Amino acid sequence: MSVESEVSLDGKKLTIAIKGRFDFGSHQTFRDAYERYYKVPELYVVDLKETTYMDSSALGMLLLLRDHAGGEEAQVQVINSNSDVRKILAISNFDKLFDIN
Amino acid sequence: MAEIHMDLDVLSGLQEVMEGEYPKLLDTFLDDSQKRIEALRQARDDAKALGRIAHSFKGSSGNLGAVRLAQLCQRLEVESVEAVADLGALVDQIDDEFALVKPMYESERQRFQI
Amino acid sequence: MSTLAPAPEALTILIAEDSATDLLLLSTIVRRQGHRVLTASNGEEAVEVFARERPQLVLMDALMPVMDGFGAARWIKQLAGEELVPIIFLTSLRESAALAECLDAGGDDFLPKPYNPLILAAKINAMDRLRRLQATVLQQRDQIARHHDYLLHEQRVAKAVFDKVAHSGCINAAPNIRYLQSPYALFNGDLLLAAYTPSGDMHVLLGDFTGHGLPAAVGAMPLAEVFYGMSAKGYGLVQILREMNAKLKRILPVDMFCCATLLCLSTQRRVVEVWNGGMPDGYVHDIASGKRTPLQSRHLPLGVLSAQAFDDRTEVWPMALGDRVFLLSDGVLDTADANDQLFGAVRLHQVFAANRDPDRLFEDIEKALAAFRGEARDDVSMVEITLQPGQSLRATGPLYADSGQSCPLDWAVSFEFRAETLKRYNPLPYLLQLLLEIHGLREQSGALYSVMAELYSNALEHGVLGLDSRLKRNAQGFAEYYRQRNERLAQLNSGFVRVHVQVVPTEAGGKMSLRLEDSGPGFDVEQVLARPLDIDRLSGRGLSLVRQLSSEVRWSDGGRSVCVEFCWGALA
Repeated sequence: MSVESEVSLDGKKLTIAIKGRFDFGSHQTFRDAYERYYKVPELYVVDLKETTYMDSSALGMLLLLRDHAGGEEAQVQVINSNSDVRKILAISNFDKLFDIN
Repeated sequence: MAEIHMDLDVLSGLQEVMEGEYPKLLDTFLDDSQKRIEALRQARDDAKALGRIAHSFKGSSGNLGAVRLAQLCQRLEVESVEAVADLGALVDQIDDEFALVKPMYESERQRFQI
Repeated sequence: MSTLAPAPEALTILIAEDSATDLLLLSTIVRRQGHRVLTASNGEEAVEVFARERPQLVLMDALMPVMDGFGAARWIKQLAGEELVPIIFLTSLRESAALAECLDAGGDDFLPKPYNPLILAAKINAMDRLRRLQATVLQQRDQIARHHDYLLHEQRVAKAVFDKVAHSGCINAAPNIRYLQSPYALFNGDLLLAAYTPSGDMHVLLGDFTGHGLPAAVGAMPLAEVFYGMSAKGYGLVQILREMNAKLKRILPVDMFCCATLLCLSTQRRVVEVWNGGMPDGYVHDIASGKRTPLQSRHLPLGVLSAQAFDDRTEVWPMALGDRVFLLSDGVLDTADANDQLFGAVRLHQVFAANRDPDRLFEDIEKALAAFRGEARDDVSMVEITLQPGQSLRATGPLYADSGQSCPLDWAVSFEFRAETLKRYNPLPYLLQLLLEIHGLREQSGALYSVMAELYSNALEHGVLGLDSRLKRNAQGFAEYYRQRNERLAQLNSGFVRVHVQVVPTEAGGKMSLRLEDSGPGFDVEQVLARPLDIDRLSGRGLSLVRQLSSEVRWSDGGRSVCVEFCWGALA
């Protein structure tokens, strides 16, 4: 499991790509990916293209990111989810909190 | 084969290691070896016993620098496994070699008057 | 010898050698390296000395009389057990077969003759490093084992507390609930609660906390307290949901939440009210038609949204007697086979379709899971509740131990609940608590609550909101009815419901009159009462129930006002 983060040139968008299993073991790595930027981006993008598996701890981690990004005012997108991942996001209705596609 | 009866380099190495105990080591070797020679004579026809004793004797003589003696014991050890060989001749050779080196070690011992 | 590196620690070393010369030589070398030396001149003696003195390292001649080096090595390794006691064989054996035998017997290294003191010292140090490494590993393993035992103990205690809490309700007592819960539920974060309301409705919660182990369980206690406490007081699902969400939001860390399905089953009203946030589909099973209606997750789990953002909208589905509601945790759908394929909803529906005897549904599912997975799974939770007739109205247990003399007997109170309040407040639990101050009424608390709830809902829905109960004749009609209810309530900006309570003593004991008034248009009382009492119709049951449960029912003011009476005898 690995996490890669990339900031856009103007510093306004942070993209975090999760490769492999997004579960309990990813906790620290995921947090490091967004906590280490002292400049706060306006938009966060979580790219799940290469995410093979996601469980409820991953949902919790998304909530942590959202909280870090400003809670109700946060702009967090979740992109490139495969059908399994989308199912998990759908059943917990996380599309009401995150922009999912 | 190089006929070293008593290797002086080995002895000086031993002297360094043993320090004050060096004379005692020589005493022990002489005493020990005497017993082995007798045991070899006793075990004349018993190939297995001869092999065992030769193996042991080889070890201590090698450690103390009696190279030719160790080599003869090695041969006896190997040949004791083969049924055919005439082991008696080898035992005599070992006997003779020890008779040769024994005074050499004794005079080495004499250098330390304790 | 200045070139010899000093040993890091003085060891006790056993030297087993049958040649006196070699023994003396070795002992001196080893002693000069700073170690303590024990000697033996044959294998048997070596084993004896080892057993008695327990040296840390052994130098062993391979060929010795009485018991040779190999035999002695095997014994010594056995005696050493888990600890590593390195054995260095002293050998002038050249054949590889013999050397291999040395290793098989437990030898860790060789020292050839003639002895080289430098090599001997180096080998002793190397073996000692291995020995100390093994000792560290064993020590850490023991530490871990102790820690583990401690954690197990903590978990056992937590489980005992949790079991008490989880079984406080009616989950075991109710005859119409069937459930399967893993013994590891505590550690999976699974929660299954059931409780009766004062009117005999049943509240059921199937929950799944994120994560595993004790952290998942910690949220379960406060949630259970809210569930039981509020259900017993007669609060509806909406208030209970709001309270549970607020509590979890407050106490749980940001990344923890609780997926949950909350149900209210009412035998009286022949409905089930549902809220599902994040759990797999539940099912309402219509026995007559065999149809299963999925109860889908429409909300975020509990503990995620703030109170303002929380969506408390429930769905209401009609049920007939004998119909069942079935809930399951994600352990069922997530069961995986050897190829990591999931059991999934499709297979579950196949089990439903193949099921012939509704009473055997649990067994059918368990069998299908076991066949799919190859073995039984221990973290599955399922619950099935059947709508059964004749469930007695519960009386609340004795609240006070006094003689019943010290209660208010002659009083009256009136309330007016206006639009803003009607929108967001359910006054029934409060009113019930108030009326239960009258000790004589406590036995009838179930009936009292049912009647109050029925009259209030009529006043609000038919009176103030103007909804037509005839809509509620089928599932679609139900959905439409409740949609309209929510819509009209949200838009309400005028209207009222008034509640008047009058308590007077009588010769026999006492009498309570409860009158409700609403701001609606009223209705033709004669006409409605004349309708046949078709108790299978989904609507219309309310009025017959009210008449059944109370002493007297009277309408006035064109149907806008209704009055019921409850009487009780004097207490001993």
